[in-house]
Amino acid sequence: MLAKAMRLVALAVKQLVRHPVRTILTLFGVASGMFLFTTVQTMQTSLDKVTQQRAADTTLVVYRENRFCPETSRLPEYYLNEIRAIDGVREVIPIKITVNNCGASLDVITFRGVPSERLARYAPEIGVIDGSYEDWENRDDGALVGKLLAQKRGLAPGDAFEAAGVRVTVSGIIDSPLPQDNSVAYVHLPFLQQASRHGLGVVTQFNVRVETSDDLKRVALAIDERFRSEGEPTTTQPEKAFFARAAGELLSLIGFTRWIGYGAVLAVVGLIANAVLLVVRGRVRENAILQTIGFPGGAIGFVVVAEGTVLAFAGTLVGVGLAMAFLSWRGLTFGNEGQTLALAPQASVLFSGMLLSLVLGLIASLGPAWVAMRRPIVDSLRS
Amino acid sequence: MNESLIHCRKLAKHYRKGAQTVTPLRDIDLDVATGEFLALMGPSGSGKTTLLNLVAGIDSPSEGTLRVCGEDITQLSRNRLARWRAHHVGYIFQLYHLVPVLTAFENVELPLLLDDMPRRVRREQVEATLAQVGLEDRMHHYPRELSGGQEQRVAIARALVASPELLVADEPTGDLDREAGRAILNLLEELCTEHGKTIVMVTHDPHAAESAHKVLHLEKGQLLKPEEVNHAG
Repeated sequence: MLAKAMRLVALAVKQLVRHPVRTILTLFGVASGMFLFTTVQTMQTSLDKVTQQRAADTTLVVYRENRFCPETSRLPEYYLNEIRAIDGVREVIPIKITVNNCGASLDVITFRGVPSERLARYAPEIGVIDGSYEDWENRDDGALVGKLLAQKRGLAPGDAFEAAGVRVTVSGIIDSPLPQDNSVAYVHLPFLQQASRHGLGVVTQFNVRVETSDDLKRVALAIDERFRSEGEPTTTQPEKAFFARAAGELLSLIGFTRWIGYGAVLAVVGLIANAVLLVVRGRVRENAILQTIGFPGGAIGFVVVAEGTVLAFAGTLVGVGLAMAFLSWRGLTFGNEGQTLALAPQASVLFSGMLLSLVLGLIASLGPAWVAMRRPIVDSLRS
Repeated sequence: MNESLIHCRKLAKHYRKGAQTVTPLRDIDLDVATGEFLALMGPSGSGKTTLLNLVAGIDSPSEGTLRVCGEDITQLSRNRLARWRAHHVGYIFQLYHLVPVLTAFENVELPLLLDDMPRRVRREQVEATLAQVGLEDRMHHYPRELSGGQEQRVAIARALVASPELLVADEPTGDLDREAGRAILNLLEELCTEHGKTIVMVTHDPHAAESAHKVLHLEKGQLLKPEEVNHAG
């Protein structure tokens, strides 16, 4: 059974390969649609990763109440000890963030000022792939630059670069499984405080680790309650909820692109259906010959479905592959209100795209296959 | 020649064309013995091809009985009829009808694709059949690279490859020059006499019909009796 099916698939592939112009044009259309779909899907997946709360998440972000941009969130660094004293808090890290652009942007540069002794705990996933960590520890203006940012700006260890009024020297290039870390530059907290006009003693936020995720809500309420009557009141949220709040416009924008992705998928279905229908119309007599020599209607339909599915699969392979290569090469990072969303190629998107292509090919070619297999042989021979 | 390979009684075909019922074939009683070479002649619209299509199982009769190769093919479902055609009938068309994007080898291989046979056996069978029609040196040529006579030989090889008992040919020499046509007729004669194939051939050409053991004439959908032939002719 499988051997017969494979022989029919081989027949379908011969039909496609030996009509190269028609096949290439269809593949081009399918690849374009799936390129768009994959890019949009990568945005959605990247967004889901940074906004969907999981049971293992134990980090809170303390921000200035009613502020969204890092430039306007100013909290006294001495809150550190007050927060640390709250029951359930395991660790507190003060962070200063400086960005070159608070609005929505595709070219955002983010400096994260972190106490050097706490960086390993704040971002344990990062690894230095070029340059040295020691150089960063020993150098006041040293920066550990994410690999995507370094790639985009052509930076290497020893280079100096300036952005958002901050001039740093690259100590190392870092890599992280968290896409966001690959698009930022880590610097020393005091250095960034001094480089900004707010000076020492002022931070943008505190990242607070609690003992268990069950403590998140209680600790958040306790922190905000503690500073309610202070000059700089706070809003404390789980890290992912904080991202969703701060980058609200980004979420709306990316949410909208979902419809573009659906549109691309519909266009691909239409394109394949049209191509397969034209194939069936152009091969009415040929299919009748196959039926005359003993191909049952089901086998004719199977060949048609195989052609549609192979077209969809091959086009998707090209489109998804190009999208993955493009996203890897460009290292796109969306920025809004100081929050960054890096679009990193993901295996899940690749697999879902390939799976979708099989479904699309099937859906698009079922109608034409039905037409091909039901047509009376004698009528087809006369056509 | 012995028992009937084709046996039909009161065979008729009707179809609707707008408000009218058209009857291209009626009251056909026909027996064709195994190993016989029968030519069907008659003017255009006389029902020759319709009869050929019914016998080949690619069209269904409206009335009558039709047994071919020991099977009442009017009772078979579409799928069983397709399987029956694959094993019992080889169809040769006037215009060859090869698949243009497949080589001669691949065209001849088509009827075997749905059979459970090892690839090596399939390849040997296709090569042997192409050799039988004298095209062993044209196996990997596409139809566009072959002459009309060669294309028709490929079509005959395709009809033969599954070793059917019955070959039906609809004007097999109609699109060929005299020489190529003669070669095809010689091949069909050889298949009948040396390989025991039963052949039913539709033709307009009296010279082509001379190759057959028996010639029957159709007119207005009916078979003519021998005494009517000269009168009709």
